[in-house]
Amino acid sequence: MGRKGKIFAAVAGAALVAGIAVTAAFGAHHATPGITATEIKIGGTFPLTGAASLYKTIPAAEKAYFDYVNDHGGVNGRKINFEILDDGYDPSRTVPAATQLVEKDGVFAVFGSLGTAPTLATWGYLNSHKVPQVLVATGDSYWGFSRKKYPWTIGWQPDYPGEAKVYGRYIAAKIPNAKIGVLFQNDAYGKNYYAGLRVGLGEAKAKIVDAESYDATNPSVQQQIIALRSKGADTLVVFATPVPTITALATAKAVGWTPTTTFINNVSANRLFMLSAASKGANVDGVISTTYTASSTTQKDLPGVKLAQALVNQYAPSLQTSFAAGDGNIIYGFGVAWTFVYALQHSGKNPTRASLMAALHNLNTSKNPFVYPGIKLQTSAKDNFPIEQEIMIKWAGGGTGDWQPVGKLLNGIR
Amino acid sequence: MLGLAKRKTAVTTGASLPVLLGLAAATIFLVVGSISSNIFAQQTVAGLSQGAIFGSLALALVLIYRATEVINFAQGELAMATTYIAYQLTLWGLSYWLSFFLTLVIAFVLGAVLQIVFIRPIQHSVIAVVIVTVGMFILIDGLVTWKWGADLKFMQAPFGNAVYHAGSVAFPRQDIGVLVVSILSVILLWVLFQFTKLGLAMRAAALRPAAAALVGVRVNWMLAIGWGLAALLGAVAGLMTEPTTFLQPTMMQAYLLYAFAAAVLGGLESPAGAVIGGLALGVFLNLIGQYVGLATSELRLPIAFAVLLIVLLIKPTGLFGRRQVRRV
Amino acid sequence: MKYAVIAIAAVAVALLPFGLSGYHQGLAVYVAIYFIAILGLNILTGYTGQISIGHGAFMAIGGYVTVIMSHDHHTNLIATLPVSFAITFACGVLVGIPALRLSGVYLALATFALAVSVPQLPLKFSKFLGGSNGLQTDHAVSHIWLYGVSWSCAAILFLVGWLLLRGRIGRAFRAIRDSEVAAASSGVALPIYKTFAFGVSAAFAGVAGSLFVLATNGFAQPNEFAVLLSLKILIGAAVAGLGSLWGVAVGALFIGLLPEFSASVPIIGSSHGEDVVFGLIVILVMLLLPNGFAGLLARLESSFKTAIKSDPQAS
Repeated sequence: MGRKGKIFAAVAGAALVAGIAVTAAFGAHHATPGITATEIKIGGTFPLTGAASLYKTIPAAEKAYFDYVNDHGGVNGRKINFEILDDGYDPSRTVPAATQLVEKDGVFAVFGSLGTAPTLATWGYLNSHKVPQVLVATGDSYWGFSRKKYPWTIGWQPDYPGEAKVYGRYIAAKIPNAKIGVLFQNDAYGKNYYAGLRVGLGEAKAKIVDAESYDATNPSVQQQIIALRSKGADTLVVFATPVPTITALATAKAVGWTPTTTFINNVSANRLFMLSAASKGANVDGVISTTYTASSTTQKDLPGVKLAQALVNQYAPSLQTSFAAGDGNIIYGFGVAWTFVYALQHSGKNPTRASLMAALHNLNTSKNPFVYPGIKLQTSAKDNFPIEQEIMIKWAGGGTGDWQPVGKLLNGIR
Repeated sequence: MLGLAKRKTAVTTGASLPVLLGLAAATIFLVVGSISSNIFAQQTVAGLSQGAIFGSLALALVLIYRATEVINFAQGELAMATTYIAYQLTLWGLSYWLSFFLTLVIAFVLGAVLQIVFIRPIQHSVIAVVIVTVGMFILIDGLVTWKWGADLKFMQAPFGNAVYHAGSVAFPRQDIGVLVVSILSVILLWVLFQFTKLGLAMRAAALRPAAAALVGVRVNWMLAIGWGLAALLGAVAGLMTEPTTFLQPTMMQAYLLYAFAAAVLGGLESPAGAVIGGLALGVFLNLIGQYVGLATSELRLPIAFAVLLIVLLIKPTGLFGRRQVRRV
Repeated sequence: MKYAVIAIAAVAVALLPFGLSGYHQGLAVYVAIYFIAILGLNILTGYTGQISIGHGAFMAIGGYVTVIMSHDHHTNLIATLPVSFAITFACGVLVGIPALRLSGVYLALATFALAVSVPQLPLKFSKFLGGSNGLQTDHAVSHIWLYGVSWSCAAILFLVGWLLLRGRIGRAFRAIRDSEVAAASSGVALPIYKTFAFGVSAAFAGVAGSLFVLATNGFAQPNEFAVLLSLKILIGAAVAGLGSLWGVAVGALFIGLLPEFSASVPIIGSSHGEDVVFGLIVILVMLLLPNGFAGLLARLESSFKTAIKSDPQAS
């Protein structure tokens, strides 16, 4: 490099160092960002593309609910402006998206973001910037246990290990001679479920004869199903995302295996998926799962379901077919959005980020019309899980049937 | 300027006795194992059905490579897109099989058009072609998601849900159907290449483009037809895969990876090799998963690629490929 | 003339962050990261002719090295960068040795296999590598810190690359690219230079990977290193123009900023518009500018020179 070049480089380097010092000295002090007299701006990251994109009906439903609320005067006269960003379930995209929401778009809160890894990638940043990261769409339990360290983060749905404990307790009590075979996804999602099952089983966990994992890149779980059957399992527990769940059910039948009882996790228990499994020949009658939302197909008379139907018709007509077929993600979205609006309404006339969190940390309401009747949203200083109740459901009616509730609402599943 | 010019090669037809003997030994091993253990038999059968799907996509990859010396990274997405087209046809009221065959025609045209528009201008440069096919991958994925959305969709199963039994081993009719279709495709391709003028012209265009042009073969058209055929085979692969993965934009992505391994294993220039490679890979992965405790599900894909790497290092032309002698 | 351009660019880069919001500073960091990765790939593919579609794997290795050192041993974040460089250099050499036997499409496939398999490993060894919940560095960094560090690395590594390529090593590389047989017969020890190129190229990607993880709030997780990352680096290198260092900045800008612009494409809408536009532009660039931006520069330069020469007034 010539001399001139060296001089320039030195100047540039000095400018850089000086600039860093100067910028660091500045602090930005704003009033509560994202909230004006007429508008509350929120945003969230969702997998609109990629492998997890079948969940994009959730933000669509949430937006529809907010549009409905806005048409009815908003919250204390403020309309909710909901920005939906795509991260493709890739944390390296979630981070820039979250940065955009906070530093470019100046949102009041980050709402409903989907996915465990994406949330883990951003909770440090959001908490250090004191931005609410609320009602995240994932059932991992980290958010419930981390209030001290990450006070600005809170989940919504019942956690996966808690759900698995329900199955474990049921098997221990009602199927004493079970030979249990477990199929689970080989990441933290599946492993946490499996761990919860073992806790729920208690001593009965000795009855697990085999546990097979599968990788998300496995298109088929045939090999694992055959292995489970070969070890003599007669009770099948499937902790999987929708496609492998349907495949597992269909494959079991195809290889001539009829487990006495099959459990599948709530995430994959959408009516759509069960119908598809049935159309592939699976034995769906008697399959057990759990739910915590109202059913758009078997509980049509509930005020919440009627409202949901009206919302879909008016604000999200593109969701009509899925709703009619029983896509539970839509009612899930309504339920989460309702909770946010409720919290906003209880954050004072002029909400701040702190007052929003205070409202969410002190929930106590049974009025959410979209959750299963009787479920209470409840949080306190000792309890950071808004929903901890579920009800067991069992499939009946074969290829045109539906889920029917079994027993009573279960409390404190954790 | 991109100094990756094609090297001059001489091709010897390697009728490889060791490979055939090895395959025979493997087959005997599988039969013996299946007779002695039901689980072994069931895993082998399941592996064959998975492998048939690997093989049918690998067939499309091999065809393009053989006809145009190009690796098409967009093959899986093209297969997926044509499957969506079939789905749309069924939504418009056509029967499954009518949609199936109509889609094959559409796929053929689409493949040829893509070759003419996007590949022909830059087909002299390996890197440029790789990148254009990658661009096509991204483009097709975006278009499909835009038009049909990313939620799960379902099509009618082509062969129904019946299951046949031999002893306690189950043979789902769907899996048998996929296997038959794959083998049929290979046979039809073989007939095309060995016994028809068109096939001869295509082989000539791929091996000796200059000489073929001199005797009147329209080389550029042969390349386009090669792509069209590969797209057709891809559509078949996609439609055979749909019952397992259902219809979603990412449905072929995992299969593409295994198909690459299968194609390399069988030999990038051998259609029969593609299918046999696929079957072998499917069975191998299932048996390893059943009997080797260390080989848990996270390693399934790395194992497939370990196979690919080992083949590339020991015999790059694969089980059935012909040895290529590089002339300087 | 070229040095003046570099100097101006350096000053511009140094002063830029003060005019940008934190979000845009973040974007600029990604441009620096891609700059480094594309530089590395260019050295391998543009200068020695070995195709790699696996550089995402080296980025993953570098990224995890940084995270593990910070998470387990609380190492200073900047100190992890040379370690990441060294370890991925070694990995690159290890890959380069079997790669000697492969060429063209076969090498592309083999490196593709690498790109797909390496991100699976943290899932298998989840105790040490965090599994699907990822691993976190022990503290986060500010945008401006990251901007400074990443662009400083980019400048340093550009210098390293430039010095490497203008000397004997660069001549050997170019000889290998143009004709391996000719190079060998004039005494170039092919295996050494080719594996060295792989090592250096991987080392650059490793540093890019470390910065990539730091830019993701210090969080390393397999989904971040999917195959698309390797493909993007290759695309960036092709757009930049293989075999020349001058287009690398354009390639990095292309990959880093295009998603921003294609998200606001009309008609097709937001997230899917991104993919469609990106794919289309990639294809169009390759069709219209097969030698990338550097090729365009070269053409402009030569036509500029021809214009001067043919102008009777200028002499």
